[in-house]
Amino acid sequence: MIKLVNVKKVFPGTVTPAVNEISFEINEGNICVFVGPSGCGKTTILRMINRLLEPTDGDIYIKGQKVKDLGVNPDQLRREIGYVIQQIGLMPHRTIEQNVALVPRLLKWPENKIKPRVKYLLEMVGLEPDKVSKKYPYQLSGGMMQRVGVARALAADPPIMLMDEPFGAVDPILREKLQDEFLKLQKEMKKTICFVTHDINEAIKMGDHIVIMNKGKLVQHGTPMEILANPVNDFVKNLLGVDRGTKLLELTKSEEMVERAEEIPTEISNKNCFILAIDPVQRALELMMKKDADIVGVHDGNKFIGTISWENIKKHINRISGDEA
Amino acid sequence: MEFEMDRFINTLIDRSPPHALEHLQLVLIPLVIAFIIAFPVAVLLTRQRFIKYTDRVMAFFNMGQTIPPLAVIAIFFPFLGLGRTPALFALTIYALLPIARNTLAGLKGVPREVKEAARGMGMSEWEMLLRVEIPLSMPVVMAGVKISVVLTSGTAALGALVGGGGMGAVIFAGIDFFRAELIIAGTLIIAAIAIILDRILTLLSNMLTPPHMKI
Repeated sequence: MIKLVNVKKVFPGTVTPAVNEISFEINEGNICVFVGPSGCGKTTILRMINRLLEPTDGDIYIKGQKVKDLGVNPDQLRREIGYVIQQIGLMPHRTIEQNVALVPRLLKWPENKIKPRVKYLLEMVGLEPDKVSKKYPYQLSGGMMQRVGVARALAADPPIMLMDEPFGAVDPILREKLQDEFLKLQKEMKKTICFVTHDINEAIKMGDHIVIMNKGKLVQHGTPMEILANPVNDFVKNLLGVDRGTKLLELTKSEEMVERAEEIPTEISNKNCFILAIDPVQRALELMMKKDADIVGVHDGNKFIGTISWENIKKHINRISGDEA
Repeated sequence: MEFEMDRFINTLIDRSPPHALEHLQLVLIPLVIAFIIAFPVAVLLTRQRFIKYTDRVMAFFNMGQTIPPLAVIAIFFPFLGLGRTPALFALTIYALLPIARNTLAGLKGVPREVKEAARGMGMSEWEMLLRVEIPLSMPVVMAGVKISVVLTSGTAALGALVGGGGMGAVIFAGIDFFRAELIIAGTLIIAAIAIILDRILTLLSNMLTPPHMKI
């Protein structure tokens, strides 16, 4: 869907490139998360995709077409790409309704189509249209404003969304909630999303694909699993943190680690500790601690398929985190 | 100096109105011209291409404010002579700075993230100027216009010295003939003009801005 080929950006007046020879591809319907310390060039990449910045070198393709060739006018391109930023940037002199209707109005939609669309969007992001439509942004809380920001970006139903630390300015509890809600929305929407964050946990949670960057260079990219299991160097290891192994357990489904067995061992049936095949392995760990067991049984539907043992999990973590943990 | 109530009221009611009308013209005409010049120029100076000229252009506007209007009239006397035209000219130059300065400040005060979001949504430079930057800077711009109105209302009294008419004629007559009634009546009317114009502009500004953004 989106492809970068040897993209390079050197800002005028600087020598070191902000983005250096980066190539990768984002598949349709995926969330691709760019993660790295500030100044690593992740935001610059985002801004090059919707041509707020032009690359010094290299090409960016959307659906196989160079963005450079997608019409002479970058404004037209931007209207077809959703854009959410950390500071939100709602128009303070416009009501919530007018803010959400911004892009449809720029695209000259008929008014009778805009009204129901705004209502639908506000409901979708969890706001009550009757209560907020006529309010101004200053009358909303930070979390509500961020929801309006997302609704505004989705207004014209763009196939692509660019999100620059969209949940960076809200408190951790609300952030979790917004993330969950957004993932739920994404399941239905299937947008192609470029997501920038400096929070590796957010990256692991949100990303179908993660791009790790440092000093303008691409350090590693892959699925969260691939990265957690095989970090290429110390930079990635440090970024993932020492709890890499347990983070992996959150992402690993029990069925992937199960030791197949036909009969239920007595220890398990006595303590009645079972989990589902689709539960993360972390769930097994939790159950072991709760029930003081060393082994749990795994069910796929109603069928017993095998066990996961404490020994096995330990080995698994050791293999991944090595001796650093 | 003596004070006769009859003469005071007579001045206020019978003698002043035509002068007040002239005075109003001496304020409004320069103000409109100054706005037509200063506002677009200041808008241009915030555009990427013209930012580098800001200091030079603002130095010109600063000068217009520093040189006393009478000196301007003296300098341009060979071209414009005496009467209404040089008075209007000098007052226009005098009114430029607050409008230009506040327009610059207003436009620069538009939050970065709002502009970033507006561009990211796909607004063209024109759409952004008309729908975001100008509406958001309106309260500050109008504050500048109000400063210019008050300044010009007072200064316009000097117009009378070069035959430009206005309330100055009444005040200077009072000074020449030692008549406090004329001086006070003239001053009161000038103050009234300044206050009324300021109120009208405030109402106008409020109509253009949502309630929470008034200053």
